[in-house]
Amino acid sequence: MFKKRREKKSLTSPNSMMLRRTLFLMIVCGIVAFIALGARLFKLQIIDHDTYESAAVEQQLRQTTVSAHRGTLYDRNMNILAMSASVSNIYISPAEIKMNEENPAYIAQGLADILGLDYNEVYEKTLNTDSWYATVARKVEDDVTEQVRQFKENEGRNAQGELVTDEKDHKSLTGVKIEEASKRYYPYGSLACHVIGFVGSDDHGLSGLELYYDKALSGTDGRIVRATNANGTDMMFTDFEDYYDAVDGQSLVLTLDQTVQFYLEKHLETAAETYDLQDGAAGIVMDVNTAGILGMASLGNFDLNNYLALSPEAQERVDRADVHTEEERDTLLEQERQLQWRNKAMSDTYEPGSVFKIITLATGLECGAVDPDTSAFFCGGSINVLGRTDPLNCANIYGHGDISLAEAAKYSCNVAFVTIGQMIGAETFYKYIRAFGLFDRTHVDLAGESDSLWWSDDVFFDKSNLSQLAAASFGQTFTITPMQLITAVSAVANGGYLMEPYFVSEFLNADGTVASQREPKVIRQVVSEQTSKTCCEILEGVVNEADGTGANAYVPGYRVAGKTGTSEDVVYEAVHGTKKYICSFLGFAPADDPKVAVLVLLENPGPDNPYSVGGGTMAAPVVGAVLQDILPYLGVAPVYGEGEEALVDQRVPRLVGKTPEEAKSILEEAGFVLKDTVGGGAAVTAQMPAANAKVAAGSEIILYCGEEPVLEPVEMPDLRGLSYEVARIRASWAGLYVRGTGTMMKSNYVLTVSQSVEPGMMVDPGTIVTVTLNDATKAGIF
Amino acid sequence: MAARENTVTYENTRLADYTYDNSIERGSIDLPFALLTLLLLTVGVVMVLSASFARAYYDPSGTTNGNATYYFVRQALFALCGVGVMFVCSRFPMGFYRRISGIVMMASVALLALVLVPGIGEKANNARRWINLGFTTFQPSEITKIAVILFFSVLICNFKEKMKTIRYGILPFVVILGGICLLLVMEPHMSAIIIILAIGMVMLFLGGLPLYWFVGGGLGVGALLGIGYALFPYVRDRFYAWLNPFADASGDGYQIVQSLYSIGSGGLLGLGLGNSRQKYLYLPEEHNDFIFSVICEELGFIGAMLILTLFALLIIRGFWLSMHARDRYSALVGAGITTHLAMQVILNVAVCTNSIPCTGISLPLFSYGGTALLLQMAELGIVLSISRDVAEKR
Repeated sequence: MFKKRREKKSLTSPNSMMLRRTLFLMIVCGIVAFIALGARLFKLQIIDHDTYESAAVEQQLRQTTVSAHRGTLYDRNMNILAMSASVSNIYISPAEIKMNEENPAYIAQGLADILGLDYNEVYEKTLNTDSWYATVARKVEDDVTEQVRQFKENEGRNAQGELVTDEKDHKSLTGVKIEEASKRYYPYGSLACHVIGFVGSDDHGLSGLELYYDKALSGTDGRIVRATNANGTDMMFTDFEDYYDAVDGQSLVLTLDQTVQFYLEKHLETAAETYDLQDGAAGIVMDVNTAGILGMASLGNFDLNNYLALSPEAQERVDRADVHTEEERDTLLEQERQLQWRNKAMSDTYEPGSVFKIITLATGLECGAVDPDTSAFFCGGSINVLGRTDPLNCANIYGHGDISLAEAAKYSCNVAFVTIGQMIGAETFYKYIRAFGLFDRTHVDLAGESDSLWWSDDVFFDKSNLSQLAAASFGQTFTITPMQLITAVSAVANGGYLMEPYFVSEFLNADGTVASQREPKVIRQVVSEQTSKTCCEILEGVVNEADGTGANAYVPGYRVAGKTGTSEDVVYEAVHGTKKYICSFLGFAPADDPKVAVLVLLENPGPDNPYSVGGGTMAAPVVGAVLQDILPYLGVAPVYGEGEEALVDQRVPRLVGKTPEEAKSILEEAGFVLKDTVGGGAAVTAQMPAANAKVAAGSEIILYCGEEPVLEPVEMPDLRGLSYEVARIRASWAGLYVRGTGTMMKSNYVLTVSQSVEPGMMVDPGTIVTVTLNDATKAGIF
Repeated sequence: MAARENTVTYENTRLADYTYDNSIERGSIDLPFALLTLLLLTVGVVMVLSASFARAYYDPSGTTNGNATYYFVRQALFALCGVGVMFVCSRFPMGFYRRISGIVMMASVALLALVLVPGIGEKANNARRWINLGFTTFQPSEITKIAVILFFSVLICNFKEKMKTIRYGILPFVVILGGICLLLVMEPHMSAIIIILAIGMVMLFLGGLPLYWFVGGGLGVGALLGIGYALFPYVRDRFYAWLNPFADASGDGYQIVQSLYSIGSGGLLGLGLGNSRQKYLYLPEEHNDFIFSVICEELGFIGAMLILTLFALLIIRGFWLSMHARDRYSALVGAGITTHLAMQVILNVAVCTNSIPCTGISLPLFSYGGTALLLQMAELGIVLSISRDVAEKR
């Protein structure tokens, strides 16, 4: 029995080899392999845990941006200069068009019709069925968006665009998508375009204040972070969600005044046309007491709402250019755009020329080198300077003779100012240049300010060569920006305080409350009140006296002080071989209590310029015109001196209905003369010129009492080259009237230079012709 | 003692090596093996619920109709059936299996051929592996695995000492395996080939084939892999994806990368049951081949190791039962089935952890799949049947 069992076992049971091999498998499959897998898990789950977890979390979290509303730009009087409005981007999802079996041709046709696009272009986009996103139109206005929304709704139609009667067959178009976006609007178009700047398609500032204050204006976009599944929708049962609220951007209130800006641009544009300026013009209007900028322009302007479009002239240059490839054309286009966007008033530097004599004058007075009462100079037409082989010439090559300090400024005498410079000395001169902030940027709150360029100290302080100091004394051989110049001169005018110029006076929160305000910032007092006062008096003489070089900036009723300047661009001459002049004038008023300063630069008068080149002839009248418009607007009332009121054109009073006697006395009170009364009626039935027409004071008015005026055409006389009074009389002979622009100054040198109606034309009697007056003797490099 | 006497009456039957066919006198099933199986099955069904509900929920237009418990309910029902199948299978005496093994072999080969016929075999992902039964689909290759175990054991028992010769020890097995592999290549079904070849080799190993054949066989498999690497670009792609899955994290390496993210996110203690984030459509096959990655993410290193330990215990118990089996046939079948179980577990976890190149191998008792689960339960039932004849259960 026992043996049998053993036998059987050897026969039927697993033999020892099988057991050994099973044991081997048991060890390998049951122990070794699991230890290895455990080690592997330990590596992945414990050692590399952080790496994998953060990578996993990164793919599981989705971030949605909630865009903040961009702030508004207001001018001083809360006129809106730039604002954001919500618009929509229209896009299609070709993948969904295919998935939901929508008709691509129908969709393309519908969108092309609504958005005014080319059908083929839209249709092509629908064919890329791998894509879930193809932009059709960006920044679409609300009313158009509404049309797209209705089209997407697809009322009464199926996915194929076919009309259906059963509401069940109606399908809205899933492939058409509307996305919220925002668009920047500039209500005034091109007004102050270089100051305001513009935003790119991402709604962030690219230039001007939009760029400089981009952070404040943009605010902070909000975010929603949440865990999502791989399709981007929510993870069930996982309420992981974090909100970061959007903080809307702040709105800015500028020191800029839309009206001042308008006048500045208007007069610069007139100047650009009159003088045939090749390189445009620049101008700055500054509140001298705060250094707040009321206006800043840099012609030619561009439309902020379409900032990529070139001016017709620039476009023509690009079109005519000899380019062969698209790339070259694009480069050219980009160059022209950069040129157009450049803010000359602070990004370009130039030699300020004689305007700079204001600084030399103030420095000389402040350091005691000159005295307004006792200093005397002799100008023989030129002066020898140590270190120069040829003498420095004065604008008047015959010399100004014996002159006082005031006369030196009035005549813009180079010889006198070279002398003043040498009396100051190079070190002291540079000390004041530094004090006036002309070595540094002004740190105005606008992007794109350039650096000035000066001689290094060792060259300038060279005792054996005074030529640099001599040239610098009258504003040559260094370059600064117009912004630096007007800031420094404002310090001279306002009692000696150098201010930091600025554009933004207030930051407003999204709810309209004031977040912060900016106070005018005094950097330092550079010159004393007394020096400032003396300078203002001397500079008033430049404008208000008939023999002053700035006489063309005269404004009747206002005490304007200023200084002319004419610079040659030596770099331009070296490159182009022709001369380029920058005619400039810096004026401020009122001279006894300065409020506002205006700097105007006219660049490169062209061949059609009828004026003789010079800051005194060309730039001074522009500044005069700007001041004439903005001073009353800014609340500075005119105070007329003796006989000054007669220089101002008057409005003809309304006389119809009055008796002839009443009419006569009203006319005389208003400064007019009754020429004739036609007809014997008891009351005035008509008058010439019409009521409210602005004509020269002293004009002769005709009254009609019951009779009709006879309108027989008369020939326009030649009114050029006359004084204003003679022109008025000459016109009245022909039964015509004049109105004046330009230099309305009583001076032997101020004569009419042009008239609005050409001589020889036949016109109705009573026509008012505008004559432009100018003191043409103020031409020249001063 | 009486039982032992009884069995002798079968000595002269066709079953010359005494595979006992008497179910009346048999002992009880092995409790540790049965309990481990039920424990793992229960955890597996719970994990299917956790892993699958996101995919089921986010598939409103597909098979699940947006029903988050779709996969869970089906798996739970199959698990209940599976428990029944296991106990039924444990009741059949081993002689029964020995008798039907030839038929099972022939049937499985027939099914493998049948699945290749268009209209009967269903095609998915460029492979024709499934037969649709209406209420569920199943892969004939799953049956083939059992058939190989059962039938090879019969052959080995019959050939006995002749296993050391080429004619008996090598030829019949190579012919059968070759035929099966040929049919599987035509589907194609790479992972089934790997498992079946491995099972076949283990059976020969246990059957007493001299060891030098395995040295040669190892070289041969290496050569085959080399040829596959050289000939088939997708093999190369998988190889590279294995070496550096992050090089193409959104393409070939996607599955692996997502699996590693899941496992790594788990850390020591895991995110908690049901809290996997990777299962939200990031991890592919999350209730199927990559369910172990979800386990790692939710239950952490501790939980994953616990489950692996349970598997290891089940496997060790399976081999232990085989070693104590009353007859050689039972020992071979038991070791074969346990090896099959071990192989699936080890390869599946190795794939999830990127320890070997990616191939589609499911995790027994866990991965979603009705017929596969039923067949696994049937196999474990056979082991329990063997355990009834083990005299001394420790």
